[in-house]
Amino acid sequence: MTPAGRAARLVRWYPRSWRDRYGEEFAELLIADIEERPRSRARTADVIRGGIGARLAGAGLCGFAADAAGQVRASLVSLACCLSIFLGFGAAIWSQLTIGWQWSESSGGAATAATIVTSAAMLAFLVLAVLAAAPVVWVAGRLIVRRQGRDLLVPAAVVLAAAAVTFAGGRHFGNGWPGTGAHRGFVPGGLAAFSWASTLSVSSYWAHPSALAAFPAGELAWMAVSPLAVVCAIAGAAATVRRADLPRAVLRYEIRLAGAACAAMPALLAGCCYWIAGGEGTPLFHPGAIDVLAVIAMAAALLAGHRAARQARLRLTSASA
Amino acid sequence: MNVMAKDSEEFAGFGRYAGPATLILASLADGTKHGYALTKDIESFAGVRLAPGTLYEALARLEAQGMIEGVESHDRRRPYRLTAAGATALRAHLDNQRRVAELGLRRLAGSWGGA
Repeated sequence: MTPAGRAARLVRWYPRSWRDRYGEEFAELLIADIEERPRSRARTADVIRGGIGARLAGAGLCGFAADAAGQVRASLVSLACCLSIFLGFGAAIWSQLTIGWQWSESSGGAATAATIVTSAAMLAFLVLAVLAAAPVVWVAGRLIVRRQGRDLLVPAAVVLAAAAVTFAGGRHFGNGWPGTGAHRGFVPGGLAAFSWASTLSVSSYWAHPSALAAFPAGELAWMAVSPLAVVCAIAGAAATVRRADLPRAVLRYEIRLAGAACAAMPALLAGCCYWIAGGEGTPLFHPGAIDVLAVIAMAAALLAGHRAARQARLRLTSASA
Repeated sequence: MNVMAKDSEEFAGFGRYAGPATLILASLADGTKHGYALTKDIESFAGVRLAPGTLYEALARLEAQGMIEGVESHDRRRPYRLTAAGATALRAHLDNQRRVAELGLRRLAGSWGGA
């Protein structure tokens, strides 16, 4: 392969926005370097590391991107993605606990304490989500009404469609849940069933195809469709935030809420960990391997989310300076 | 003005890129250079060859912080030049480094002799 071809291949490690700005000149430098030192693993490793760093910077997780306001928005989007992953797994664990309460009272202290802590945390996240979404919906809606936000129409429609699918599917399969109807917990049975149905895809049955095959076709389809709907909702919301030119005051407000969300994340994680570590209780409240995996995923999402929130604060400060 | 405070403020965001950033700013102090010319110049005066990824990571940060700026060019190799903010930051940083070097040398001379 020619030096130009090798340089072009190396440049692809960097994100498109970076390549648009630095791609040509960086390729020229690489060609000169390759002609001088035809074989260099250190150079390849350095370019790969730089490319990954640029991609993380573009996602608002570290480093510096040229567009400070854009990087703040990227950090907020990354935080929203981390929060969605965190809450997806957290809701799966929470729904197990609340569903358990519909059948019988917990005999273990860990399950009781975990249900109280996780329910409080979920309520806090619900309030934060409404507060965070309100100004974005307002700004995006105003732009659309004034016909200035044509590029917001598709992502907004995707969010609405995905939310409708999640709501309809969650209601349908939640209603089909074979509960006793004897509500014993402090979370309403309908809400517990909806949460359980919405997070049906977080299941250890994926590792047991023969058992999975015995599921009704509709339920299997929902287990495949529901995470896709959530991913579409996140992607649509991310595109809306990136394309809507959010005023600086709104960005500052969202960063404050991000800080509050980051403070609530450890509470939900602690509640889930406490339940898993407690381990005792009736079979209904017995944690499984999928719950341990969920907690590991939640911990990773928490770390990445905290990093994104910190980066958003730093970049907003440096952009204001 | 507290030079050390100013220096740490300007270079605080660079972390492990403070070294490459100083070398790039010092290289651009005597005129505009493109990426390859920067690499060769830094190699000649510092004995360090900055790898392409490291060089451009530092260049992007310096440009985002307004310490350097790209110069319009018909060539695919875009030259960069030092800005007034970059010159101020470099001067403060080098003054601070010089004070540290002078202090270290004085202490060495006092405890270990002139050898």
